[in-house]
Amino acid sequence: MSFFIDENTKLIVQGITGREGTFHTEQMLEYGTKVVAGVTPGKGGGEVLGVPVFNTVMQAMQETEANATVLFVPPKFMYKAAYEAIMSEIPLAITIAEGVPVHDMLKLHYLAKEKGCRLIGPNSFGVISPGKAKAGFMEHRIFMPGNIGIMSRSATNCYETVFFMKQKGIGQSTCIGVGGDMIPGSVFVDMLPFFENDPDTEVIVMIGEIGGSEEELAAVYIKEHITKPVVALIAGKNVPEDTSMGHAGAIVSPDGEGSAEKKEAELRYAGVHIAEGTEDLVEILLRLL
Amino acid sequence: MKLVEYKAYDIFYKYDLPCSEGCVVSSLEELRDLKDTMKYPVVLKAQVQTGGRSKAGGVQFASNGSELLEKGEKLLGMKIKNLPVRIIFITDKVEIKKEMYLSFTLDRKHKKPVMIFSPEGGVDINEIAEKHPDKIAKVLLAPSKTLDDFVIQYAMDKTGLEQDYRTDFKGVCQKLYSVFIGMDCILAEINPLIIDNDDKMIALDGKIDVDDNSLYRHDDVRVFRNEIEENKLILEARHFDFLYIPINNEGNIAVISNGSGMIMSSIDLITKRGMTVTCALDLGGGATADRIKESLRIVASNPLVDTIFINIFGGITRCDEIAKGVEKGVELIGKTKLVIRLEGTNKEKGLEIINSVSGSVKMAAGLKNGVEILSQDLKL
Repeated sequence: MSFFIDENTKLIVQGITGREGTFHTEQMLEYGTKVVAGVTPGKGGGEVLGVPVFNTVMQAMQETEANATVLFVPPKFMYKAAYEAIMSEIPLAITIAEGVPVHDMLKLHYLAKEKGCRLIGPNSFGVISPGKAKAGFMEHRIFMPGNIGIMSRSATNCYETVFFMKQKGIGQSTCIGVGGDMIPGSVFVDMLPFFENDPDTEVIVMIGEIGGSEEELAAVYIKEHITKPVVALIAGKNVPEDTSMGHAGAIVSPDGEGSAEKKEAELRYAGVHIAEGTEDLVEILLRLL
Repeated sequence: MKLVEYKAYDIFYKYDLPCSEGCVVSSLEELRDLKDTMKYPVVLKAQVQTGGRSKAGGVQFASNGSELLEKGEKLLGMKIKNLPVRIIFITDKVEIKKEMYLSFTLDRKHKKPVMIFSPEGGVDINEIAEKHPDKIAKVLLAPSKTLDDFVIQYAMDKTGLEQDYRTDFKGVCQKLYSVFIGMDCILAEINPLIIDNDDKMIALDGKIDVDDNSLYRHDDVRVFRNEIEENKLILEARHFDFLYIPINNEGNIAVISNGSGMIMSSIDLITKRGMTVTCALDLGGGATADRIKESLRIVASNPLVDTIFINIFGGITRCDEIAKGVEKGVELIGKTKLVIRLEGTNKEKGLEIINSVSGSVKMAAGLKNGVEILSQDLKL
């Protein structure tokens, strides 16, 4: 039983007619995801890869009973598209775009909470429950079904981890890209209860990085509420402070806030296993299983 | 994008915040033309994209024309933290009765904007928090277009700011909040916010940090960002929508990758093996062959770089596009060594293309293997 998406999820692709939207719709269909509708304003009535296209999320939901959406929409138009999805009361919205203004996210973060929409991303690879469905752009061939739940701020570090896991025969229950932005729709702490309650997940992997305090907040929650083993990796130990590393959220303040050392110390205190790198992380998993 | 003082002032003027009059000068000729029109005494402030200016002597006073020339010449010839002073900002010298601190920023932990106020300003906010913990008000705000009156009143009562200043203070708070929202700020700060001898409230120095992701809706800031950038490679990379990050001047390795996470992991592992990365370039997601070719050219044009490590784990980025880019770019990088690791979307197609490329190209089977090859090449 997967908690966000599975083989029964009916997915909308917003931005289906764009280059990336079409390419990844094809990939998602190939994986077995039920993509039931596409939405591109002004292109309603058409079809992409056999999937009907609508002008609005509302109509797409009414005609196809869609219950989730993934947004392949450029950052400039992300706010409008996500706003529409949330106001149409879709229960799950996954946003991919890299470079969304933080003030836009600030508004969406609260709107989603108010409307009861689970907003994932932006700057995220999406969500995948291997063997069941994927909503996002991750290269699905490296994933395989299993009992490890992963949440990651970085797409590439998650791929890297999953790739080594497969070599060792370890699979995943659900992998979630929470994204690398300063104010994401959902953060580690929001995901932890889902993994804790998920019977398919035995070990939780958290792939964090420098900047912000999401790992510290997760540490506090883990100490009090999580019974399953947690393994964490914090990327960016050796990058200069006060330098933007690409992810808007991955920046250490000159006063040391957001440093890898602080995060690792607080996670260790909460009983979390700390990995040095992706390969080391998989070694730890092998010992735990 | 952190704005230097005079650019922050431009925005303050635009939002009608009370500021002292100022002018911008970038040469001695301009100073000479100005010296007889000034109302002395004045303050000359070096405009550099870094902190610690006062300590480095970047703020000078002049009480007459000859002092203006003398101090101006000194400032225009100096470097602060290795940054040459090209512009000085000259304002009236104000008699200060009281120095305060006011800012709006993002509280990432609570995912809300936060207003920070202290009637004890003039120094760094961390210093205020240390010296006067009871004289600082931090108010978390609900995301909104306007600032509520009760927030302002709360900040005043909490810190003991006299009611006499209420009208002026309210105006300044509301206007600075408008800057914060209107300019997509990560930080909008006035420090010091002063009260002069005539009891007027004036923003004497300002800091504005505009969210880089919002620059498409702030053309003036985007243009300015390019104007002041000293590093040509950052500019060139920006032109192709890449992020070029200088890491360490002692290093010789450039890392190119398709995501921030992978860049950080690569640097972590390379550093752990005792090697040093000098720069990194983030392709972002979905780069095409033509752009990848340019990324190679850009990092190779850094004279410190003798080895390029391309580490790709393709999701939205396709390995065949990377390979085509390498094929096109390999002749642009001279003798620079190339270590490539390809994994993910369209990997097989990518490997096929790379295998046909001649030159000093080594394939790595993974990140760890890639770092291994790098260290062998460097004979560690």
